[in-house]
Amino acid sequence: MIFATPWALAALAGLPLLWWLLRVTPPNPRTETFPALRLLLGLRAAEETPAHTPWWLLALRMIAATLAILALAGPVLDANNDLPGDGPLLLAIDNGWASAPGWQKRLQAANNALDRAARTGREAALLATAPDEAGALPTPTPPMPVADLRTRLAALRPMPWPANRAAAAEALNGWQRPNASTLYIADGLADPGFETFARALTAVGPVTEICCDSAPVRVLLPPASEPEGLVARLVQMPLPVATTAGVLAQTGDGRTVARADIVIPAGASTGQASIALPSELRNTLTRLVLEGPPSAGSVVLLDERWRRRPVGLLAADQTSADAPFAGDLYYLHRALAPYGEVRTDDLQTLLSRDLAVLILADVSLPDGAERDALTKWVEKGGLLIRFAGPRLAGAESDGLHPVPLLGGDRQLGGALSWNAPAGLAPFQPTSPFAGLTVPDEVKINRQMLAEPGASLPEHTWAALTDGTPLVTQAAMGAGRVVLFHATANADWSNLPLSGLFVDMLRRLTSLSVGVAGRADSTLLAPVETLDGYGTLSPPPRAATALAADAFAVTPVSPAHPPGLYGPESGRQALNLGATGIELTQAPTIPGARLQSLTDAPAEKPLGPPLLAAAIVLLLADWVVAMGLRGLLRSRATAVAMVLILAMSAPAWAADNPALTTRLGYIASGDEQVDDIAKSGLAALSDFVNRRTAATLAAPDAIEPGRTDLSVYPLLYWPIVAGAPALTAPQATALNDYMGRGGIILIDTRGSGSGTGFAPGTEETFRRIAQSLTIPVLAPLSTEHVLSRSFYLLHDFPGRFTGDPVWAQRDQDRANDSVSPVIIGGNDWAAAWAADAAGRNPYAVIPGGQRQRIMAYRFGVNLVVYALTGNYKGDQVHVPAILQRLGQ
Amino acid sequence: MTGAASRRAEALAARLPPLLVAAERVAATVAQGVHGRRRVGQGDSFWQFRRFVAGDTVNRVDWRQSAKSGLPAPSGWFVRETEWEAAQTVCLWRDTSASMRWRRDGATEKAERASLLTLALAALLLRGGERIAALGSDARPISGRFGLERFAAALDASDGDAGLPPDMPVPRRATVVLIGDFLAPLVDVQRAVGRLAATPARGYLLQVLDPAEAALPYAGRIRFRGLEQDGEALIPHVESVRAEYAAALTAHRAGLSAICGAAGFGFGAHYTDRSPESALLSLYTALGVA
Repeated sequence: MIFATPWALAALAGLPLLWWLLRVTPPNPRTETFPALRLLLGLRAAEETPAHTPWWLLALRMIAATLAILALAGPVLDANNDLPGDGPLLLAIDNGWASAPGWQKRLQAANNALDRAARTGREAALLATAPDEAGALPTPTPPMPVADLRTRLAALRPMPWPANRAAAAEALNGWQRPNASTLYIADGLADPGFETFARALTAVGPVTEICCDSAPVRVLLPPASEPEGLVARLVQMPLPVATTAGVLAQTGDGRTVARADIVIPAGASTGQASIALPSELRNTLTRLVLEGPPSAGSVVLLDERWRRRPVGLLAADQTSADAPFAGDLYYLHRALAPYGEVRTDDLQTLLSRDLAVLILADVSLPDGAERDALTKWVEKGGLLIRFAGPRLAGAESDGLHPVPLLGGDRQLGGALSWNAPAGLAPFQPTSPFAGLTVPDEVKINRQMLAEPGASLPEHTWAALTDGTPLVTQAAMGAGRVVLFHATANADWSNLPLSGLFVDMLRRLTSLSVGVAGRADSTLLAPVETLDGYGTLSPPPRAATALAADAFAVTPVSPAHPPGLYGPESGRQALNLGATGIELTQAPTIPGARLQSLTDAPAEKPLGPPLLAAAIVLLLADWVVAMGLRGLLRSRATAVAMVLILAMSAPAWAADNPALTTRLGYIASGDEQVDDIAKSGLAALSDFVNRRTAATLAAPDAIEPGRTDLSVYPLLYWPIVAGAPALTAPQATALNDYMGRGGIILIDTRGSGSGTGFAPGTEETFRRIAQSLTIPVLAPLSTEHVLSRSFYLLHDFPGRFTGDPVWAQRDQDRANDSVSPVIIGGNDWAAAWAADAAGRNPYAVIPGGQRQRIMAYRFGVNLVVYALTGNYKGDQVHVPAILQRLGQ
Repeated sequence: MTGAASRRAEALAARLPPLLVAAERVAATVAQGVHGRRRVGQGDSFWQFRRFVAGDTVNRVDWRQSAKSGLPAPSGWFVRETEWEAAQTVCLWRDTSASMRWRRDGATEKAERASLLTLALAALLLRGGERIAALGSDARPISGRFGLERFAAALDASDGDAGLPPDMPVPRRATVVLIGDFLAPLVDVQRAVGRLAATPARGYLLQVLDPAEAALPYAGRIRFRGLEQDGEALIPHVESVRAEYAAALTAHRAGLSAICGAAGFGFGAHYTDRSPESALLSLYTALGVA
């Protein structure tokens, strides 16, 4: 322990004087009235004994004074943590992208070192190892007083690019000061210049190295496209234990539409997880974000490559291609148009623009420039889908078939044939169509046959029940050719008439590589770039334009910071992890004294607690002095003093749920679901407080069977898949609650437009509900009181909408026709939820502000229903309501 | 009458009925134990029958008793005699100065106890047929069993802030009862008592004190302040002067006793934590014997 201002201890010498003063100065007399004063008047001269301060009060005051003096002397508890040397201190800090998580801790460590340097009167210099925004290479500052350096340190930011230690080492070459020492705060990431940098640091003076943050350094890589969604991938330094990282898929306005957990096994450096999203939602994504401390490496910006998939359609006979019900492209057009951009043109025009997928419906390609251009396009990554037909069957093989074909076609179930039209076999798990259900009514009447061969099954994605292939594929260069062995219209099969056709085409389309605008040497100027914390901001001065075809090979640097480049129509993203980054743990500097960033012995100034103790003692002295003077005799004074002293104590009474009305949610045990429920109910309470006369306090988490349910008018119960069945006390508590007028809103969180968002909750609920006494249910309609208890509602959306919401059948007169349970799957809490800034973190689906407002209105109706029962069902109001409904 | 005085009078008037009730109650308790003069004389109470002797007027013969005796007249005649009840004027005074309106720790105020004793004594005296007057008021002496309220009004009118009885004439040979704390200097007390004794009048002086005034139950450093502009006293250590204070109080009381003895007055002391009945009994007995 040391003292920051040791001269203050000299005041201790004054304590004996204080002792003497306190001894001879008696406390203030207290005043009393007394009738027999005359008798006392004579006594004054006779008795002159001075009143002494009691010894314990004297001791109390002396201790308080001692504590105050010690506190002013500024004792600091950081023994054995001194920096070597007494010359200037060189503070070297890695401020590359990997330093952004825990940047505050790094600054704290640096400031601690500066505190120590300042106490010993040393100067300090600062070296940040990453190039700055202007692109200037790292240079150390000259040694300067600590106070000046603090402002520079405070202005230091983590950069979105890696540290350049080689340049830092070079800059250190001429930096030699006598008796200097070095403090190096490392980000733990190896880089080629580390060896020379370590040597340069050691040359300056004894090195103390602070490394590393306990949080693993992670980089999110650009995701891979999959038919069902995106595959988020990340790279991290190998850790001896398995770790989990959450990835959020966010849209342009910052809403999170999906989340996935990436599990990285012990010792592995990569991990991935797929984020299943409908393509409509996927196309609104702009970034993937790693949960946890933000950094440039935790954000992947998504550009057109992950979204835009223009499809080109080409038929042999352009004129009749779109003829209703018969044309070659008629069904294709209808299947594809709702999900993306579809173009119909001649081959040359189609290929002259960006194209992700090209579909040829019964087109044979004779030798020539067109076929060469098409082959080249496929080899560059295009996806070519061909449909068979009379023309293809009659033409020579053009080389753009996935499998060799037998000439002609095969007819099944014709007038002169023994066999019946064939159905489709279930899809193999390796097929991209895996998981789609095959309807029985799909029958294939004619098909083109592939030449049997050993490799045929590998190329088959879909086959008929007799094993002959219906869809075959083959890779070609970077692209792929897929062949449907039937026509794209209903001539050869009724496949184009079924929904399966649409699903198959969508899966195929999403297989294709996205189109990233021009892939040429056009220079794209930076528009918005990420800063060190992964926030988009205007590009720094040094940022320059980047050629469109160089995005995949350009590492991030001050000249090319990660971010968005190019015009709005063809924006490209440069990401930190795009060039195949590898993370390896940097070695420690040889001979350096090591400290950990997380458990570095922090300086503990003892002054404040000592001062606080002195103040407490002086308060006690005050109370005692008041008591000695007799001012504490009245009970009211004593109570007032206790109140003053206890003012900071939290008012526990305010939390009693019986005193204020509040909503409750049944804790599911899933932290995320509970958070959503809590935040949703809080936002709803807020909304109700603003719009109605009801006053609701912050919601509570409820554990049935343990919490007293009787004080909650309404419980929200989000069902989590795989939740355990209710125990007997829980079931009894909930049944009691419902039986005595309570209302439970049960939410399976995945119905209607949100089907598939919460798989398994409905089964779980079915299982749980066995132990609940749920009355006969009917779908909620506009007839129900719930639809007019406050607002007039026609549907009851939450985050999702579309499926009916169920409540007790209205004829049931028990409990005043108030339904004890409302069951639905619209994930209402997610729609209500709002973050601290009042934004709604969960997008409503299909979307729109109106759906959000309707969700809130449903919540208000529900709360008012819970609070007023069937009041609005009163027949008195029927005429007025009918009039307002316009009936 | 000034506003303040009027308000005080109203407050006192409002307090008097309960005080009167309490006084009547105290007086009734004491009345059980006292008797008349035990002598034949003018009065209302029956005393005895005696044989008719020559010279008794005929209208004093109690004919009913005579008839019951069954003896021939006039030897069988009986005369009814009543007990002698000599009406006496008693002047009552009680101290209402500021020092009397004081109490400590929930005890009764000295002034309240003094008023209670005065009124209870008045009630007793009225029952005994005496005439009573409030010392310091101009009203004529009051007699009769129902004069208590009038007396109470007269007593209120005689209120003053002086700690000693006023210098006003009293009927000759009247009895004077003084109730107060008599903490004034002994010289002043002697002057007042001497003046009354010279009238001449007999009397009784009752000192009413708060128990705290006897025990001085304070501790530490205390600044005592008087109630009647008599200054302050800073006692640095009250515990150490307690014994000397007790001595001073005893000396003061001895002085009072001596003054009363010289003037032919009775003297008694009463603490407000004791029962008022005992004080009243001793007071009344002292008056009756005198």
